[in-house]
Amino acid sequence: MVEITIRKRPRAEAVVTQRKFFKKTARGKVIKVLRERYLRNDVGCGIAGCRNCVHAGKITLPSGGSTKSKFFSDGHFVVPDTNVFLAQMDLMESNHFDPPLVLLQTVLEEVRHRSLPLYNRLRAMIKSEDKRIWVFYNEFHSETAVVRVQDETPNDRNDRGIRKAVAWYSSHISLINPTVRGQRPKPKPTVLLLTDDVQNRMKGEKEGIKCSSVVRKYVESLGDNSSQLFDLLSAEGDEIEPTNAQNTTRQALYPEHLPLSTVLAGVRGGHLHQGHFNASQFNYLEGSVSTAAFSRPVLLIGRENMNRAVQGDVVAIEVFDEKDWKAPVDQVIDQEAALKNDDAEDSEDEGEDEMLVQEKKVLQEERATAQTNAVKQPTGRVVGIVKRNWRAYVCHIDSTSLSSSHATSLSQQTVFATPVSRLLPRIRLRTRQAPALIGQKILVTIDRWDATSRYPEGHFVRALGKVESKEAEQESLLLEFDVPYRPFGKAILDCLPPEGDSWVVPPKIPNDPVWRDREDLRDFIICSIDPPGCQDIDDALHARRLPNGNIEAGVHIADVSHFVHPENPMDTEAAARGTTVYLVDKRIDMLPSLLGTNLCSLRPFVERLAFSAIWELTPDAEIVNVRFTKSVIASKCAFTYEEAQVRKDDKKLNDELTEGVRLLNSLAQKLKARRMAAGALNLASPEVKIHLESAESSDPIDVEQKKLLETNSLVEEFMLLANISVAQKIQETFPQTAVLRRHLPPPPTNFEKLQDILLKRKGLTLDVSSSGALAASLDKCEDPELPTFNTLVRILATRCMLSAEYFCSGSVSRDTFGHYGLASPIYTHFTSPIRRYADVMVHRQLAASIGYTSLHATLHSKQHVERSLDVINRRHRMAQMTGRASVEFYVGLALKGKGEKSVVKEEAFVIRTFRNGLGVFVSKLGIEGLVMFKGEPKYDAENYTLTLPSAEHGEVTIAVFDKVTVHIEVEKDRNTQRGKVTMTLVDPPVAHTL
Amino acid sequence: MSATVSLSKSEKSYIRTALGELSPIRADGRSLLDYRSIALETGVASLANGSARVNIGKTAGEESGSGTEVIAAVKLEVEGVLEGEGVDGGRLMCTVSCSPAAYPHLSSAALDDLSYDMTIILNQCLSHPSLHPKNLVIIPKRRSWLLTLDVIVLSDSGNVYDALFLAARSALCDTKVPKTRSVQYQPKSNALGEQDVEMSAEAPASIFSTKEVKSTADFELADYWDEGEPLDINQEWPVCVTLNLLSAKSLPTYFLDATSQEEAAIPLRLLLLFSFSPSGTRLQSMRLMGDGEIQLESMTQLLESGENHARKLFQALKNKLQEEDFRRNQKALARFDLR
Repeated sequence: MVEITIRKRPRAEAVVTQRKFFKKTARGKVIKVLRERYLRNDVGCGIAGCRNCVHAGKITLPSGGSTKSKFFSDGHFVVPDTNVFLAQMDLMESNHFDPPLVLLQTVLEEVRHRSLPLYNRLRAMIKSEDKRIWVFYNEFHSETAVVRVQDETPNDRNDRGIRKAVAWYSSHISLINPTVRGQRPKPKPTVLLLTDDVQNRMKGEKEGIKCSSVVRKYVESLGDNSSQLFDLLSAEGDEIEPTNAQNTTRQALYPEHLPLSTVLAGVRGGHLHQGHFNASQFNYLEGSVSTAAFSRPVLLIGRENMNRAVQGDVVAIEVFDEKDWKAPVDQVIDQEAALKNDDAEDSEDEGEDEMLVQEKKVLQEERATAQTNAVKQPTGRVVGIVKRNWRAYVCHIDSTSLSSSHATSLSQQTVFATPVSRLLPRIRLRTRQAPALIGQKILVTIDRWDATSRYPEGHFVRALGKVESKEAEQESLLLEFDVPYRPFGKAILDCLPPEGDSWVVPPKIPNDPVWRDREDLRDFIICSIDPPGCQDIDDALHARRLPNGNIEAGVHIADVSHFVHPENPMDTEAAARGTTVYLVDKRIDMLPSLLGTNLCSLRPFVERLAFSAIWELTPDAEIVNVRFTKSVIASKCAFTYEEAQVRKDDKKLNDELTEGVRLLNSLAQKLKARRMAAGALNLASPEVKIHLESAESSDPIDVEQKKLLETNSLVEEFMLLANISVAQKIQETFPQTAVLRRHLPPPPTNFEKLQDILLKRKGLTLDVSSSGALAASLDKCEDPELPTFNTLVRILATRCMLSAEYFCSGSVSRDTFGHYGLASPIYTHFTSPIRRYADVMVHRQLAASIGYTSLHATLHSKQHVERSLDVINRRHRMAQMTGRASVEFYVGLALKGKGEKSVVKEEAFVIRTFRNGLGVFVSKLGIEGLVMFKGEPKYDAENYTLTLPSAEHGEVTIAVFDKVTVHIEVEKDRNTQRGKVTMTLVDPPVAHTL
Repeated sequence: MSATVSLSKSEKSYIRTALGELSPIRADGRSLLDYRSIALETGVASLANGSARVNIGKTAGEESGSGTEVIAAVKLEVEGVLEGEGVDGGRLMCTVSCSPAAYPHLSSAALDDLSYDMTIILNQCLSHPSLHPKNLVIIPKRRSWLLTLDVIVLSDSGNVYDALFLAARSALCDTKVPKTRSVQYQPKSNALGEQDVEMSAEAPASIFSTKEVKSTADFELADYWDEGEPLDINQEWPVCVTLNLLSAKSLPTYFLDATSQEEAAIPLRLLLLFSFSPSGTRLQSMRLMGDGEIQLESMTQLLESGENHARKLFQALKNKLQEEDFRRNQKALARFDLR
């Protein structure tokens, strides 16, 4: 009989075999956690040629180590401690930094514990091919495991573990290279402990680890590449050195932040409020935080109250008494203009007081003139940071901050980097490459922001390229909006069909898996209508009369879910990307282009898999019934909007295809009429089209507004119809997890200002009680003299609204499902699965609801759906902003091109008045700009007017909604090389334009 | 109180007569004041904050089921005072459950009754205010620890109360309270760049000011790896001595550590719970069990001799607990280092 033994580990060894710790849960309970630990002897050292270790998998460390450092001619291995990774990740990631690294498990776990983003970067680094990193599981190795002794802090224990592992490696290397008697001893590579922690180094020396080094010194010893690597060194690097006494003498400029635990306690108790910090677009000394407790955002005025918060940080604020509440200032304060004389090197010293005085003056001036009757907002100050959201920022080097004495020298100097985004403060960084970096777009990360330092300190990551070169600008846009743009990896491409672009719909034979439950619609007269040059065609349409007098209409959507299976690498990547991003001259795909532009794209004359929604409609466009089915279609034609329009209007043509388009068009008109009657809004946003000279050079030559044709609305109506029908279907089937889209009605307070302006300037009223009422009153906003006035009001009204969002049907109450803009009780996105991930999720749910497949477990989980939709919502917003920024950049380029030939003058509308300027909107170019005035114009905030001395005689008064003519120039900002549209008033002529 | 075994009259009389002899005879050959061997181990439940296992009268060579065996474990839980869960200063709750295996002849209802009786005795004694540890406070008036002491009787072959309190005391002595640091946020009265900020912040808050109460409080763990510090009244946790009274005469004879059979044969038991602290000895609780009666005069004498026995037991337990502590920490570590 087989003897069964249970190898129970004696409790007597619990001290060694168990790791226990306490954890405080989010709900404030304390739990004790126990982990079993099994120590083993077969943890490999990772050094090639080591016969003592058993290695499974690839060995990454060369047997002799690296000989690049001047200090170690016999070769060396580097063992960095945790802080090196926490502070110097950019250095570690650099391609120039390539000594063989031993990454200890202790370090890896500590990094994960301290910062998840850094941990993810570290994991990616371990996997990357060009790094020589060996992960040594020292906690599981019987000779390197350490047990915490009484009263030892976790930090000390980890440091001890690291030192023990280093010592083990040193002795292990002697074992690998034994000295054979009679032979000259072989050179033994050194094991170097890389740490900036002085104490750790001292303890190490006491324990016999002779070789430890500060990061900076070590980088110095690398010789060749050191100057490039030096810039990557984070400012945090040498601060652990106790010798840096300079710091302590400096005067604190900001109040200290409270420790996180105190902050959280305060937030929980309701004394502090937590929210995202939003810097003001117009005034660098003002920011706001939206919190749940106040209906209006809390205003933070002045540097001291903003207390080192950076755009996007999650901060905790304290709100002042109500008597201190203030209205935001209607003044534009530009950082560059106000702080021109700031010097990077000694801004901490003498310049200080002067600066403070200057800023205080600005603030007080504002206060003095601030209107007493304007709506007050709560004010407050930042007392602590809950979470920093720092990332790499695209910047320019401020050329004036370069000290003139070494304008060309390669010595290290401190300079200012001005971020492209106006919402960010400038960043101080030390670099040796300053002269070379001028005129370049560079990537800079913030390392820290001390209370003693006016500006955050950061370090240079890499250069993106010359300012205004298209590649650099494009990449900087993508980086700035956090768009993932790397090419798809191998794991993702492996998920594509192995046939590649020769994949075709297999012939229809019984039992073919592709044809299972698929309808054969290859004979239907289906066509697609898209913008010109469209490659990813994800929708196609058809319509035909039925014998009973009704009309059958079908919308056919690319069957992306046939190719993208849940939870494989391609799906995960698509979910993370969320959406395809369209730049003016580039598309960042969500799915590999083989799918997007070929296999899924419903191109004409080829058979494609589709997901069809087919309605039976009465001639009055009432839905008789709808069904959904997977299908195979063969599109008969791919129209552009214009072609379809021409075809429809051509009376001579009477073929089936043309009839189909006409039928669709007539239905669409009825659908639209009904939608409008239900209270749908006809919104406007400035959309312009960039004319590129040719596909290759992509130099913009002109900008024009997009034209809307009847066929645009044809496609739109049917897509809306499909989305609504699908939304109903999946909500019925999966009431808890259906992926839907909604548009919440805007709070009436959002419209207050616009209503006030309209009433005072034009005597018009805006009824915002419902979307129908708003639509009706928007129609009445006409000015006979200004035909574009209506569009302008619509644009402004659109800005008052909330943005639509995806949501999971189980997580909000049923009565908030509605889509305000479309006046539909329920809505989703189904029609563009190639470029939107939400549609892919909807496709899966729809397929499950018609019994085609079973629903993947993740789509049954409310949590998972919510989490995915959060990502998609964010990506979606970012993609829109990226697209807009890209258009702006090209408009700028086009203007520059035009401006070289002639002066660009355009009509513009005033949309906002400031105390010292006007916000204007140039509808022809779809851009907004600021016109600033010197001196003290008379500003009437009540009536939204600004009165200026005229150039000719007397005074001119300019009010919101007035039409003016502006002169548009693109000029490079002298300091930052940032391309900037500046506008000056031409008509009416005024005396002091800036 | 239901005895754990039932004996016939003649059996009872046999045992009683043997014990009442001038030179008393017990079935296992002990003298009247001898204990059976007591085995003690602490730290038996790794996930508890303190635990112990006690066995009285285990016969050598037998694996389990012999003797009286009791396991006690202490668990600490955070309670909010304002939320109405706990009380300021923390509280202590004891529960005893009897394993059906220990009392195979009892119905489940009777077993519940027995458990309940034991719970009452343990709880009334240990959660008495005179024994309240002061370090169960996390944040005054806000948060405190709830200490739950759960004791399981695995087997009973007599003298279960002594075992119960031995285990309880050992588990409580073994208990470590995680160190916490209170985190408070005190809103400043005014802050917008005004000069007197410092002054107002430093002004001492009077007792009557609402500031103190309004300031929010939470806590964090001082060291998430550390077990913490022991309860501050470690030495005072009482020990129990059960005097088994043979007769109700004016000069009662008693014996210690009765087996189940002996318990069934005698009319009266006296439970005495003594707490020994530097400040003096306290009788925490006492209880008479059985259907016999006793003269008041003899109580003084019994108390005196009870205290002596309790002191010896206390001393022995103290030594053993120290030994246990050493075994679990230093020795294990030393062995680890020797590898």
